[in-house]
Amino acid sequence: MNEIASCASHGEGIPAPTHAAGRRQPLIDGIEKVTGRARYTTDLPATQALTGAILSSPHAHAEIVSIDVSRARALPGVRAVITGEDCDVPFGILPIARNEYPLARGKVLYWGEAVAAVAAEDEQTARAALDLIEVEYRTLPVYISAAEARAPGAVLLHANKPGNVEREVNNTFGDVDAGIAAADLVREESFHYAEVAHAQIEPDCTLAEFDPESGRLTVQSVSQVPYYVHLTISECLKMDPADVRVIKPFIGGGFGHRTETLPFEITAALLARAARGTVKLQLSRAETFTIHRARPETDIRLKIGMKKSGEITAVDAEVVQRGGASAGYGIITILYAGALLHTLYRMPAVRYRGFRVYTNTPPCGPMRGHGGVDMRHAFESLMDMMAETFGLDAFAVRRANLFVAPYQSVNELKVSTCELAACLDWVEQASGWRSRKGKLPRGRGLGVACSHFISGAAKPVHWTGEPHATVNLRLDFDGSITLLTGAADIGQGSSTLLAQIAAEVLGLELARFRVIAGDSALTPKDNGSYSSRVSLMVGNAALAAAEDLKRQLVAAAAKRLEVGVEDIECLGEAYRVIGTDRMVSYRDVVKSALEVTGPLTTRGTYTVPLDMQGGKYRGAGVGPSPAYSYAASVVEVSVDEDTGQIKVEKLWVAQDCGVAINPLAVEGQVQGSVWMGMGQALCEETEFVNGRPLRGNLLDYRVPTIVESPPIEVKIVASYEPNGPLGAKEASESSLGSIPPALAAAVAEAIGVRLPGLPLSPDRVLAALHARRREERLKSALAGAR
Amino acid sequence: MTRLCEFSLRHPETIEEAARLLAAEPEVRVIAGGTALLTNLRLGLGKPASLVSLEHIPGLDKIEVSAQEVRFGAGVTLARLATVPAVRASLPALAQAALTVAGPSHRSAATLGGNLCLDTRCVYYNQNEVWRRSNGYCLKHGGEVCHVAPQGKRCHAAYSGDLAPLLLVLQAEITVTGTGGVRRMPLGQLYHDDGAQHLTLARGELVTEVSVPLPAPGMQLAYRKARVRDAIDFPLAGVAMGLRMDAGRVAELHLALTGTNSQPVLLTGTAELRGAAADAALAERVGKLVQRQASPQRTTVTTSNYRRQVATALARRLVLELAAAGAGQSRGTA
Repeated sequence: MNEIASCASHGEGIPAPTHAAGRRQPLIDGIEKVTGRARYTTDLPATQALTGAILSSPHAHAEIVSIDVSRARALPGVRAVITGEDCDVPFGILPIARNEYPLARGKVLYWGEAVAAVAAEDEQTARAALDLIEVEYRTLPVYISAAEARAPGAVLLHANKPGNVEREVNNTFGDVDAGIAAADLVREESFHYAEVAHAQIEPDCTLAEFDPESGRLTVQSVSQVPYYVHLTISECLKMDPADVRVIKPFIGGGFGHRTETLPFEITAALLARAARGTVKLQLSRAETFTIHRARPETDIRLKIGMKKSGEITAVDAEVVQRGGASAGYGIITILYAGALLHTLYRMPAVRYRGFRVYTNTPPCGPMRGHGGVDMRHAFESLMDMMAETFGLDAFAVRRANLFVAPYQSVNELKVSTCELAACLDWVEQASGWRSRKGKLPRGRGLGVACSHFISGAAKPVHWTGEPHATVNLRLDFDGSITLLTGAADIGQGSSTLLAQIAAEVLGLELARFRVIAGDSALTPKDNGSYSSRVSLMVGNAALAAAEDLKRQLVAAAAKRLEVGVEDIECLGEAYRVIGTDRMVSYRDVVKSALEVTGPLTTRGTYTVPLDMQGGKYRGAGVGPSPAYSYAASVVEVSVDEDTGQIKVEKLWVAQDCGVAINPLAVEGQVQGSVWMGMGQALCEETEFVNGRPLRGNLLDYRVPTIVESPPIEVKIVASYEPNGPLGAKEASESSLGSIPPALAAAVAEAIGVRLPGLPLSPDRVLAALHARRREERLKSALAGAR
Repeated sequence: MTRLCEFSLRHPETIEEAARLLAAEPEVRVIAGGTALLTNLRLGLGKPASLVSLEHIPGLDKIEVSAQEVRFGAGVTLARLATVPAVRASLPALAQAALTVAGPSHRSAATLGGNLCLDTRCVYYNQNEVWRRSNGYCLKHGGEVCHVAPQGKRCHAAYSGDLAPLLLVLQAEITVTGTGGVRRMPLGQLYHDDGAQHLTLARGELVTEVSVPLPAPGMQLAYRKARVRDAIDFPLAGVAMGLRMDAGRVAELHLALTGTNSQPVLLTGTAELRGAAADAALAERVGKLVQRQASPQRTTVTTSNYRRQVATALARRLVLELAAAGAGQSRGTA
């Protein structure tokens, strides 16, 4: 950077080249969002669109005896009525577990499952038509908890899954029994976690346009994975994928809610084709909650063996996840809960049993920190409890278990870089831990916890043999560069990051770039925004595409300046013969480069090296990643012992994300993680009464507001990841897992009681406080009696 | 949450005309700020043929301060209630209570009258049409059974207005205007303890004015609200208290609750606390009063047991807090 900056002063009139990466860069689409110009799916101009509406099941578990749509079809203004009859292709993100239909066939498995849909000329007519559809049900027993669904004799939700268990995982790595035997202390605890939801701000919506003349379908939807939507819709509609185009408009958050094709997206396409026109299917907040796909209700039984030094000798864990009515990502989630035990601390031996259970609740799915968040709370909590027994400080017990990268875990995961030690150092120092821990006034507490996450799954969900990511850069006569990517920017800032990487390579300002993301007619296929894959994988592809373009520009400059390519240096807005004043401007280099060939398009790809793709055991595909990001958090709370109310006073988060390509966006992502972690820790939970969701609105599903937001200090620690673009790795999910356990540990110090799970809602905290007082009274009474 | 039902919006220019319009048809509702009403209508709770807006009626937004009382038009917004200097000076606790309602955008539209007449709330009621239909509706709206207490004969939906308890403590009076004329009554007479019919207003009647006598010198007042989030949330329980101490003894104590019953409750039995010293025993007695008279049911996602406990805790704490504040003040003026 210094070299180029100093060189820039040589030539008159040549703009100073700069480096675009590593800079605090406001998002390139930020102005559109804050001014309201950005068009989300529901804002798309579609004056001719019919209104779609869904008839949902009033029962949580029932056979569909009959459906009569004749009266609805006869209603004037109704253009299409469809039912499960109209789509017999099951879908699901995993090719091995497809058992969901866009509209129920034969049975309904959860309250609110779609049974029929209509497209009509206006909303009133659509709603009236729904009321005319007659469905006869024969109700079945409803299983809301995993235990009920697993009970002997329970009706099977899916005939091929005995005991309603979607997947049982049994994995043991290392010698667990020997590890337990070698421990100075073995402790086992059970934890319960309420189900939470993503509560992304944008409700679900799809706009589907079917052109009856060409037979082609264009779908615009709220997806994080436009490619999977494309694939699934063409499969479910039995269409040639070439006749389908999927466009991703602006997206108001995802967090995993939109990481698979969702039933309403297929339904909108089915309606559009049936009506031979355009259909807008806008879901309400309540319907969006029922689509769900979030973190399941989870029970964890965890046993840890520990030496007096704090060193962990073995782990034995059992996890039961209430998965909801269909497969979705369920198998992946139950595998991650085990796999992510291995790569945060050194684990000599781990036994993991996991049960993913089908229940009569909306399907769960991947949610930020996929599979790892509840287990992380259990693990960090039990580690703290055991450290207390030994009189070890919470930092000391964590430091006793750090590994030094490069590191290979017992389940064959390879960690190339890990700066967790630096993260711990920073939060310890910044929070004043050493001088304050244990000395805070009553009702106040400090807690620390660590967490981590992958930078993209090394094995994609759909194996095609293609690279993991592809980016095109287009350069035309005007000198502007268009970056074409299928990666979905859903608010996390991926479009900005990709442009920054390309601009960095080419030494150009961001203003030279445009990013087109997520239009299957224009952009190369991308697996989508999930598993924190985009920064590293798509970033590497963008880097490669930019390097290719730079090679071509250097060659053009060399030709023009009549020297060899090795004699040319790229200064961004100029190309110069090294060691001389001879240079040619970027515009002229572009002209030369386009001579003969015409406009240029380069392609960059990224494939995870084979040796980083994991082991060979069953489930080995879940866990491997080209890089892992790390975080440590300290949370300070105060607790009102009269009301059970927790106030988060302050948070310190240290993040190892490799080189931060956009530090501003990284800080934003970490703050978002804090809020999400606080929400799960303090007050977010779903609840079902007689199978009906009780909290399907944003008053009863309590996401923390800005009033609850504490001061948050974010530190990005020095780190360089050789597998990442420009040294970068994931920065959005790794910090989340540390928040709930750090917060819970702080509460434990404040009130002297550790609650066995989440959320720490005021009623639960107060009940725990009352239980503690009863116990204290009993103890003193007994002592008095003696 | 779906599109609003179709209705005609009426804009009377006098209270009398508004009353006539309200009396004229059965399916008609008053709309002031609309923050609560429109949410319920979007959930399908009622399909009024017309809404009578109070927007064009002059004088409903008045705030008049005299030596004896403050008179508020029912149309005063909560934002004004919280910020107008005259209110903050003469009734600071009321301004503070107004600030606890919902969020800033709600308060800029929501009104004093609307808050007093707030519909009762229940997890079985504040759900959308599809949800309620699949649950067989409920006693409050369209059904026969109260899902909170299926054996009972009444609706247990909870009243959740944040201003009523303090206004009860302040012995506020309201003016009700209807086709039959104008009547003035203590605020308490606006309510009865039935979640399905918690207001005593007759058809064609509306609250037009609230008169709040200025508190006696030395009277300490406050409202405390228990909720999970410190914005947006309705009270899980709210406690308003007025306490006047004389020579270290209770001279006067009033205590009212919201969020716990189908109406705001001015607690009885507080006169017996007269003469008590401000100590733990007083807090205990105040707590007992709350415990006995609060009657939270399973109408929120938070347990009724917690709501009773937290109401008790807030009241116990508040009485000592106000006693200390009063003592501090008398020391200050001495």
